[in-house]
Amino acid sequence: MKQNYWDVSDILASSEKIPTRFNFTVPGIGHLDNQPGKAIKKDTKVELPFWLAQSLAVAPVSGDASIIMLLAPDALNNTVQNAIKSDPVSIDLHSIAPNFYILAERWCALFTDEELSETLKKLCKERAYEINNFASNTSKQINNNFILSLDEFEKKLYKRTMESNRNLRDWLNDQA
Amino acid sequence: MSLPSNIKQNLMPSEISFMTENEYIQILPRYSMKSIQLIGTKIPNLRALRREKVPLWVALILKSQGKCNIVIPDWLNLIYLKARYDEEVKFPMKFSDLPFNWIDLSKILLSKAPDDLPDPVHQLRSIIQDLREIRQVKTRKGLKEVNESNIGLSGLSLLEINELRPFMLSVMNKLREIHESVRHDDYDDEEVIDVDDDED
Repeated sequence: MKQNYWDVSDILASSEKIPTRFNFTVPGIGHLDNQPGKAIKKDTKVELPFWLAQSLAVAPVSGDASIIMLLAPDALNNTVQNAIKSDPVSIDLHSIAPNFYILAERWCALFTDEELSETLKKLCKERAYEINNFASNTSKQINNNFILSLDEFEKKLYKRTMESNRNLRDWLNDQA
Repeated sequence: MSLPSNIKQNLMPSEISFMTENEYIQILPRYSMKSIQLIGTKIPNLRALRREKVPLWVALILKSQGKCNIVIPDWLNLIYLKARYDEEVKFPMKFSDLPFNWIDLSKILLSKAPDDLPDPVHQLRSIIQDLREIRQVKTRKGLKEVNESNIGLSGLSLLEINELRPFMLSVMNKLREIHESVRHDDYDDEEVIDVDDDED
């Protein structure tokens, strides 16, 4: 999975918390679960940032088992995925996760989840189409909820598209 | 690095218009003038009432001094443009055949050489506007077919592609990233040139 060291969205996405379950009792790391000094027992559920959970989940301890098991985060659970499938345009990505796409991409990469990646592509296409509609038509109700539901990538996309359209329009009307 | 990203990755409409001024166009000189050798181009001997091809910017200078008439390209008239418009309506999946710089060239000629045009300026302007709008609607329809690997833009002019570029690049790049995220071994990530990793 490509990561961009300098990309702020990338950094923010990797600090997104995801639920995990411990496969072993690990002494001395209770501070991860608000109990400093104590041990985290086997089968405890703890929310860890993605960057930490990712490395712990792939590092084997004994045999094939790793320290923790990743559970699907709220942003990617079945309810959300079904909502995406039924109506990609009306879903509020920004409140689900501000950097939804990056988070979801990481998840795809970790689990090689083809189905999720297909869902994501469909989501991206349909919303991009709608974003373009909004961007080329600034007189349309600007405080529509759709604009507020965009994730960070989509916001950037909207801004770029709008600027490009405005450049051309201004030039054609001799205002540039 | 310090340029805004929309200028770094894309051309301004005025820059495209500037490039169009380097295209050759036929003029009908009213006076004679000796040839001029310029860096990169040569203005031929001009003889009164004998058609010559010169760069558009030269034509515009001579025109503004009243020293020539510009021969309007054969596509810039009502009959041809109306036919193209009907074509656009008739074939919803295809763009009609127009020069790659039809928007900018027509804008320049309409404003700088209105007396050379075969038809009234306002009629030409409105048919050009109609053409542009119907092509925009078509482009927008085409966006539904976007995918991560390729896109067909045959028939679109430079200005129209340029308008679409920031949107298209971002979306296709995202789709490619999603596509590749589940295929770790297919590509060497180092070789993929990321056109879109800047921050604004």
